[in-house]
Amino acid sequence: MNGSNFWLVRIGSILLAVAGAFVINAAAGGNDFTQRLVLLAALYVTLAVSLNLINGITGQFSMGHAAFYMVGAYTAAIATLFNPGVASAHPLPWLLAMMVAGSIAAGLAGLLVGVPSLRLRGDYLAIVTLGFGEIVRIVAQNVKFGDKGGSYGFSVDTKVTAVWLAWLLAFTAIALCRNLLSTARGLTFLAVREDETASLAMGVNVTQTKVTAFVIGSALAGAAGAMLAHFEGFVSSAMFTMDVSFIIVTMVVLGGTGSITGAVVAALLLFLLPEKMRDLPSMPIGGVGAFFIVLALVVAGLRYVSQTFHGAVKERALRYVGVVVIGLVTAAILGFVLNQLPAVKAAPLVEGAKLRMVVFAVTLIVLMLLRPQGIFGHHEFSWDWLRSRLKPKSAEVTPV
Amino acid sequence: MPIHSLPPDLLLPFAGIEVSTLPQQLVDGLLLGFIYALIALGYTMVYGVLKLINFAHGEVFMIGAYCALFTSWALGYTPGNALASGQWWMLLVMLVASMVGCGLLGVTIERFAYRPLRNQPRIASLITAIGLSLLLQYGGQIFLPLNQNIDSKINPAAGGYTVSLGGGSAVDTEALKATVKTKQAAFEDFLTRTKADRFNLNDEGKRLRNDAQEAERELKTAADRGKGTTLVVPYGKLIAMVATIFLMVGLTYLVMYTKRGRAMRAVSHDFDAASLMGISVNSIITFTFLIGSVMAGAGAMMVATFYAGTKIDPYFGMVLGVKAFVAAVLGGIGNIPGAVLGGLLMGITEGIVSWLGFTAYKDAVAFIVLIGVLLLRPGGLLGSAKVEKV
Repeated sequence: MNGSNFWLVRIGSILLAVAGAFVINAAAGGNDFTQRLVLLAALYVTLAVSLNLINGITGQFSMGHAAFYMVGAYTAAIATLFNPGVASAHPLPWLLAMMVAGSIAAGLAGLLVGVPSLRLRGDYLAIVTLGFGEIVRIVAQNVKFGDKGGSYGFSVDTKVTAVWLAWLLAFTAIALCRNLLSTARGLTFLAVREDETASLAMGVNVTQTKVTAFVIGSALAGAAGAMLAHFEGFVSSAMFTMDVSFIIVTMVVLGGTGSITGAVVAALLLFLLPEKMRDLPSMPIGGVGAFFIVLALVVAGLRYVSQTFHGAVKERALRYVGVVVIGLVTAAILGFVLNQLPAVKAAPLVEGAKLRMVVFAVTLIVLMLLRPQGIFGHHEFSWDWLRSRLKPKSAEVTPV
Repeated sequence: MPIHSLPPDLLLPFAGIEVSTLPQQLVDGLLLGFIYALIALGYTMVYGVLKLINFAHGEVFMIGAYCALFTSWALGYTPGNALASGQWWMLLVMLVASMVGCGLLGVTIERFAYRPLRNQPRIASLITAIGLSLLLQYGGQIFLPLNQNIDSKINPAAGGYTVSLGGGSAVDTEALKATVKTKQAAFEDFLTRTKADRFNLNDEGKRLRNDAQEAERELKTAADRGKGTTLVVPYGKLIAMVATIFLMVGLTYLVMYTKRGRAMRAVSHDFDAASLMGISVNSIITFTFLIGSVMAGAGAMMVATFYAGTKIDPYFGMVLGVKAFVAAVLGGIGNIPGAVLGGLLMGITEGIVSWLGFTAYKDAVAFIVLIGVLLLRPGGLLGSAKVEKV
């Protein structure tokens, strides 16, 4: 690739990202609910991609990402609390400034946690980051300025809804991680993941690499946090519990550890799935019970097929479909039978809202059991891969 | 019954800190520490053999509490049903029920959620564990009764063991009473004078109200001090402690002096070598889950029955589970005496933190201690950090 072409591609992709962000902004429309979904989706994509840099690409298992998200949000909230005039006069520049401030604060927090704790490996690092997340949350729960703050949190008076900016942040995070991996510096991240001792022997500064990944990941999460604070107009420690960290980790692992594409897809899936299920109708308890029992059997069946059947892909797919169809029929019959029982019939309907987190948990377990390496494994989406898939398979035989 | 008396000046406030509440907090902390230790054993044993943080362990504990609750209902102690004090065998039935329930659940989880993933990267099992924990929590909200408690009458040993520690000294409360009266009068006078709304005061009103409250608090402290210090240990908590010690001794015997225990240690050391030596790795892992879950069940029954005011709901296991997990790591995860030590340390630390008045930071302190220990001794207190070799 020559020089001019390089810059063409570079500027082209930047323009494309900006255009894409505005297209998404337009698509979100003026509807509050849609805007909220689209904006929060962008924040989750940012969080998942930034944690993927730490967990997936550098292989350092962090389970306290919500803490850095929170540091960003609280930085923005407290700065706005002390400068209400400036904030309300220039909302958008203020938001931008706060995203920078939030990312700096979160990056510093990342440095503070990273330097001592990255000496630990594997599970111990996970535990320390988990603990750090809880400490930050509990401290935030008790921080007060006058009569503001504490467990009720802070209100952020300057509310800004900038869907395009959120997506621009997400695109920045994706581009940052992707481009990092094509530099020599970025390859050291992968080297540390694959084998710490070997990369040390090859002259990689392991500690520095780990800390760099940690700080970049935390800073991106901090920027997302600042955005969240100004979008919600409110922050409280209850928004950043351990569950949030777990969900972000799950996004990374489910997408395929180390795959940026995977992180993006899993973030969208895991964020939108429970949100979409908010308007699930109420269901009889017998049907719900039957569904879960049968689901367990179907999963067992699918695993059995995938482990014991080694024939053609088409026949294997046929068997998968067979298992699912048998499962659905059994579920219908079992549900009908269960509903005839007087105790089950008398039980109240299960609200859809209660069901959604159960479905979320079940999806998680099922996906992990059926595809432990994650949706994308270590792979990334690429145009070449898509092209090779779309091209009709030619059955030509090379003559010997 | 004052069976023991300390010199009176020992328990007077020191440097502005109320010393007289310390013994009670320490004892409460120690007793709670035994419960933490019991749950921590489950984490530590599973980690020891599988190197897996079993996030669903807290939820197994929660199900144990529900088993105890349902058994107590089956024995007639349903809500709003006034019965006479219970019998000892009832407690035993509840204990067995919750141990059996937890044991079954633990084995089922291992068989269907963890075993299929055993040859995959460990992170897959970890995510499955998180998923299971969420499933049991949210599924519990649908299928289980919420916000219940076990009727405390089922415990035949009501009341507690009271120890007077002395320390009472005559304090002149008359002067303080007078101060309270004047301060309150000033506040009431302000209210009538300005016709201010009691719930929406201006700065002066707030100041007067705070003064009055402050004086009342001083009076109360002084009056408490006059009564001297007593230490109350409910019999229930003592039973829990004794039972815990009993279970722990049994477990240590099992792991250290039986053939099966030796097999467990072998599996925890090296999977492949153990299976080459003729040990059935699968059955040993199942057994480990069984023992860990049974311990959690025992702990759950005791917390639900003997800790007055325990509300059982599907989130019940989460907080205790996390703390027990911290305790396991603190002592050195995978190490059985370490789990006990960690649990007791956690309990006592919490007692001290509450005594110092930082109850809001109680959970944070647990993690701060943990991080401090891990940074200084990366393997935990009794664990040994393995140095990775090429």
